[in-house]
Amino acid sequence: MQSSESSRRQDILAAMIRVVGAKGYRETSVADVIEEAETSRTTFYKYFDDKHDCFLAAYQLLVDQVFGEIVANCDGEATWTTRMTAGLTALVDRFADDPQLARTAVVEVAAAGAEARQLHTDAIARFTRYLDAGRELVPDKQLPENISLMSAGAVSGLIFDELLAGRADRLPDRLPDLLFAMLVPYVGPQAATAEMRKLSAA
Amino acid sequence: MPQSSGERWRPPRGRHRLPREVVERSQRERLLEATMRVVAEKGYGPATVTDLTREAGISRTTFYALFVDKEACFLAAYDETVERLMRQVTSAYEAQERWPERARAGLEALLAELAADPAQARLLLVDVAAAGPAAQRRYRAAVQRLTPLFDEGRDFAPGGRGLPANASRLAAGAVVGLIADELVADRADNLPSLLSDLLFATLIAYLGPDAAAREVGERTR
Repeated sequence: MQSSESSRRQDILAAMIRVVGAKGYRETSVADVIEEAETSRTTFYKYFDDKHDCFLAAYQLLVDQVFGEIVANCDGEATWTTRMTAGLTALVDRFADDPQLARTAVVEVAAAGAEARQLHTDAIARFTRYLDAGRELVPDKQLPENISLMSAGAVSGLIFDELLAGRADRLPDRLPDLLFAMLVPYVGPQAATAEMRKLSAA
Repeated sequence: MPQSSGERWRPPRGRHRLPREVVERSQRERLLEATMRVVAEKGYGPATVTDLTREAGISRTTFYALFVDKEACFLAAYDETVERLMRQVTSAYEAQERWPERARAGLEALLAELAADPAQARLLLVDVAAAGPAAQRRYRAAVQRLTPLFDEGRDFAPGGRGLPANASRLAAGAVVGLIADELVADRADNLPSLLSDLLFATLIAYLGPDAAAREVGERTR
C-alpha cells in the first residue's frame, strides 16, 4: 500500500523514537532508522538533514502528542491533588507500556545535545505549569518560586533510574513513591503520605 | 648535576629515582584532571585520546598503560571528581550537630563546589549523559551519593518513620533537578543563592511546611 507523504515522514519519526530507545542515541545510525521505518535513504534525506535533525523532529512530535495526551489528565474540575495524581498515573502507565519510548523521552534525550535538552526542558514545563497551581494550597508559606522544578526533578530522577536499569515494567509499582515525591513540597509529609496510602490501597 | 647542552634532561637516576608508583600516580592524576577539562570544553564525543594526552603532557603509551580507552579514562575521571566533591560535602555535613543544620551545611558545600567550576559542574550533572550508558549509570550513582544528607531526617522528624523508604533518594533527585536546570541555563554563579530554596524543598518532605520554613528562616530571613 502506498502511504502518503506525511505518513511516511511520521513513520520515520516513530522509527527514530523506537531505535533510539532500543540502541541509545549515540549508537543509532540513519541506516538503523531507515531499516526500522522500511523506507529508503533518499526518502529519509528528503525530509531530514541528518540523524540529529530527525531526532529533534521526532522528539518534538513525542512532546506534542504523547506528553500532550498525558498532561490532558491534569485538566478538569477535580481537585488539584486528584488531577495531578491522574496525570502522573497516565505518565507512568504510558512509559510502562512502551519502554523504548520512555527511554528515548527521559534518558536518551540528554545524550542528543543542547537543542534536544531544551525540548526536554519544555516537556517538563508542561507538567510544572500544572504543579504550580498547587502553590495555592499553601497560601502563606511562600513556597520557593522554583518548587515545581524540584518536585519534577524528584519524579524524573526516580523514573530515570528505573529506565536506566531496564525496569520500565516496574514503574507502576513505583507510583506511590512518585506521588509522594510530587506532592510533598506542596502539601507536606502527612498529607503526601496519606495520598500515597490511598493510592496503594486502591 | 651539570647537564651538557644539547642533551635532554632525564629524571634523576639511582637512589634519587622517584618510585615507579609515584610517577604513575602523578601521571594518572594529571590525566584524570586533564580529561575533565578537555571533555568539559570539547564535549565527550569530539574529545580524542590525543587531546587528553596532550593536555596531560603524557605519552600515548602511558595512556594505554593506564586505561584501555577514552571511555575507561573518562569514567575514572568522573568517579574521582565525584569522590572529591563528596568529601567536601560530607565533611561540611559532619561538622554540624542537628540534622537540619547538617543538611544545610552539606548543600551549601555542594553549591559552592559546583559554582567554583561551572564547566566541570555542567559536565558532572548535565553533559555526562552524552558519554554513553556506563556514564549515565555513574551519573545516577553520583546523585545517590547525596542521599546520606537526608537519611537522618527520618529519625529527626516526628513521624519520619512513616515516610517512604526512598524519601532521601527523592530528595536527592529534587536537589539535582533544580541544580541541573541552573547549569543548563548557564547560571552556575547563581547556585549558592539557591541554598534556602533547596533546603526548604528538602526539609518540607520531612518536617512539613511550617517547621521547614522555620528552619530555613532562622538563618536566612
